[in-house]
Amino acid sequence: MLRQLAISGLVGLLALPVAARTRPHYGGTLSVEVEGDPWQRPGGLARQLVLDGLTVVGPDGTASPSLAVEWKSENDNHRWQFRLRTGVHFHDGTPLNSANVVASLTAICGAACPWTAVHAVGATVIFTGDSPLANLPELLAGDDYRIALINSENPTSMPGTIGTGAFQYAGLSNGILTLTANENCWQGRPFLDAVEIHAHRSIRDQWLDLSVGRADLVEVPAEDLRQAHDQRLTVIASPPATLLALTLNDSGALSNPSLRAAIALAVDRSALFNVIFQKQGEITASLLPGELTGYAFLFPADRDLNKADELRGGVTPSSLALAAEGGAAMQLAAQRIALNLRDAGFNVQVAAAGASQHMDLTLRRFTLESNRPQPALESILRAAGIAVPVLEQTSAGPYKVEREILNTHMLIPLLYLPRAYAVSGRARDLRPGPDGAPQLAGASLSDVAQEAAP
Amino acid sequence: MRWLWLVAMLISRLIAQPAAASTQWEQPAADLAEQISGILGPGQAHLTIRNISTISIDEIPAIRRLLEQDLKAHGVQASGTESANTIRVTLSENLHERLWIAEIVEGSETRVVMEHVDAPSARQAAAAPGLTLHRQTLLAGKDPFLAALETAENLVAIEPEEMVIYAHGASGWQEQRRVGIGQKRPLARDPRGVILPFFGGGGFEAFVPGMECTGSYAPAQPAADWSVRCRESDDPWPVTWAPVRQTGAATTEDTSVTPVTAFYNASRNYFTGVISPNLGVDPPPFYTAAWLFRSDSSTLLVTGGIDGKVQALENGSLKPIAGTRDWGSDFAVLHSNCGSGAQIIASGSGEALADSLRAYELPAREAVAASAPLTLDGAVTALWTAPDGKSVLTVVRKQAGPGQADSYEVDRVTATCN
Repeated sequence: MLRQLAISGLVGLLALPVAARTRPHYGGTLSVEVEGDPWQRPGGLARQLVLDGLTVVGPDGTASPSLAVEWKSENDNHRWQFRLRTGVHFHDGTPLNSANVVASLTAICGAACPWTAVHAVGATVIFTGDSPLANLPELLAGDDYRIALINSENPTSMPGTIGTGAFQYAGLSNGILTLTANENCWQGRPFLDAVEIHAHRSIRDQWLDLSVGRADLVEVPAEDLRQAHDQRLTVIASPPATLLALTLNDSGALSNPSLRAAIALAVDRSALFNVIFQKQGEITASLLPGELTGYAFLFPADRDLNKADELRGGVTPSSLALAAEGGAAMQLAAQRIALNLRDAGFNVQVAAAGASQHMDLTLRRFTLESNRPQPALESILRAAGIAVPVLEQTSAGPYKVEREILNTHMLIPLLYLPRAYAVSGRARDLRPGPDGAPQLAGASLSDVAQEAAP
Repeated sequence: MRWLWLVAMLISRLIAQPAAASTQWEQPAADLAEQISGILGPGQAHLTIRNISTISIDEIPAIRRLLEQDLKAHGVQASGTESANTIRVTLSENLHERLWIAEIVEGSETRVVMEHVDAPSARQAAAAPGLTLHRQTLLAGKDPFLAALETAENLVAIEPEEMVIYAHGASGWQEQRRVGIGQKRPLARDPRGVILPFFGGGGFEAFVPGMECTGSYAPAQPAADWSVRCRESDDPWPVTWAPVRQTGAATTEDTSVTPVTAFYNASRNYFTGVISPNLGVDPPPFYTAAWLFRSDSSTLLVTGGIDGKVQALENGSLKPIAGTRDWGSDFAVLHSNCGSGAQIIASGSGEALADSLRAYELPAREAVAASAPLTLDGAVTALWTAPDGKSVLTVVRKQAGPGQADSYEVDRVTATCN
């Protein structure tokens, strides 16, 4: 089978169009396949195409205008005022206004929002916080805070799928979600006429479909990147964008901080990196990648079983339950971690996927949503359910917070992995965004005839 | 004597280079030393320096000297020998800045201080055999430039939503004024524009999708006093200037050939193919068109179609041009006085991050390369002939690496004959 795929991949490569490059063509349908849910938060491709945020994070990591055109903070970052762009409409024609934005944001996070209150005043949205919201413009660019029309009167749409983005929901049939170009998009009509997203497709099937021309964009998990290169697939990969980390529950057997510290020292990151993830990405013991901070080397990632044994102090806690969120590679990684911990005297059982029992340890993935340290760290801590301390806006600020959080050993960073996709020869101008997701709104197809505008 | 002078120059340069390099480290070294001494207090310490940044290894001794001097000024005697206290300095960097990190080890306790250092910048140049293309950057910025026009004293650039007027300053073009274009419809994702001077000077006419702007000014009039007005318009855009003919050493506008205007599809990124005046046949929809005057006195309109085909419209019929597989969507005519006198400068094809420009002759119906490619450090997004015909202007989008925003340059490209 692999051999067949390899040959198909090579044939696909040879069949790439050789016509001269032109400006991007309008038209055509891009076929995308994903393993998960395209509406999932964070990182669902459909969410990114259909819904816009108040801000967007640029390549330099700073917040730039999107649905909000300007913002200012007052009262030492406790109050923020965002002025909305005028002339923007939701896909059903409803004008974007501050009341719609407030309703959307409230529906998203309710009482768990970073801010204490949000309200609409004229064409502005006001956020207030009990603690300073220094990174609010960058946080609002995150996938969690995209704006959807709540209480739409359009009965044909799925809830939360009417936005202002480059594509609009057109239908769901046989597991294929169809999004069509928003002709009146405030950012300009996208080049593509439509994007079809085939959800819940196994990686193997995705690659097969790519090789026979049934898909233009398929996922390449980090652990399969080497195989994709061997098969000569055209791959776009982001810099490290996903943090693989263990979260520890301090309410049960691991309430003792020394035991948690022992676990942090007992995990063999090198084995995960070399064996399971095929030397893709990078080993990390810090929450943010070194490329972002420059200080990751201050957190040693070496395994130290002697020190772990010393910290355990002869205590053998009752059997620990370890769960892994995600697919086969995550389950394998969990098995490997369980072996590591058994070497250090812990009795660890890997729970089956979807088990509802109390978990002492969970292997999770966190998306790096910004490439500026402060907002990136804040979003990881929020996703991990850890209270976010006030972050100094200096180079040393994130380091101090990381040191403080990691000293509790409630969160153990393991690896940073890239987000990667394989693309067909006809897909053009696909670039990974700050979170590693491909930016489809600017993509085009090279083999479509440029059609006449309506 | 001349030999001695050269040796002296070489020695002085070798001495001056590290000295100049070390001055940029003076402030961060002083600040880091102050932070370290604030923790350590007066005394002795073992100092180590590790470099994991892009700072050249040649500069490390100078940085070490600076740190040692500054620590000493604060009472910390740094040495390479063992001591109870250790200062481990790591010269690191991230996407946005350089970071110097000191780990101060006193017994079993380690404390960390960090010093931010500004990140560096870099540039490159290019050359070619045969007819050689040269590039000079006129403008650089973070917003896309759609087109630009140089006048005697000013430069007018079109950005997607504004026209920007520059004037000569001590360090190149200085921004004087911005005028909103005032589009009512959403901007296109691949925005384009055209700007050309009034015949005889004193003003300009500019086109962007759905809008037309005119500007007028008196000689030496400050930009603030220029009259610039924009209005909604679906009038055809000028796509070629009148061809320029070579008469001895001088070039003159050929008034026997009318400039071509073409209807632009404002919701897309191409011309519909409907052109004026009628040349016997309309070309298929195209991205680019240019008049080329050949040495046999024939004149042809070269078009780059949206299908990637390059064709010549001559004597009322369209003929394909071979040898254009390497051409991108943008080309313009350069009156270089080399070879046949005029060449087509075409952007490169392919998905490479670094685009290129190359000169081609069209002796018959085949493009023949007349220069080596001039490598650019980005993608060509616009290319047009300067009003005098002796240079072409191009906009280059420089795709940034992770952590940096794309940037744009307006470059002037000229040619020298070999």
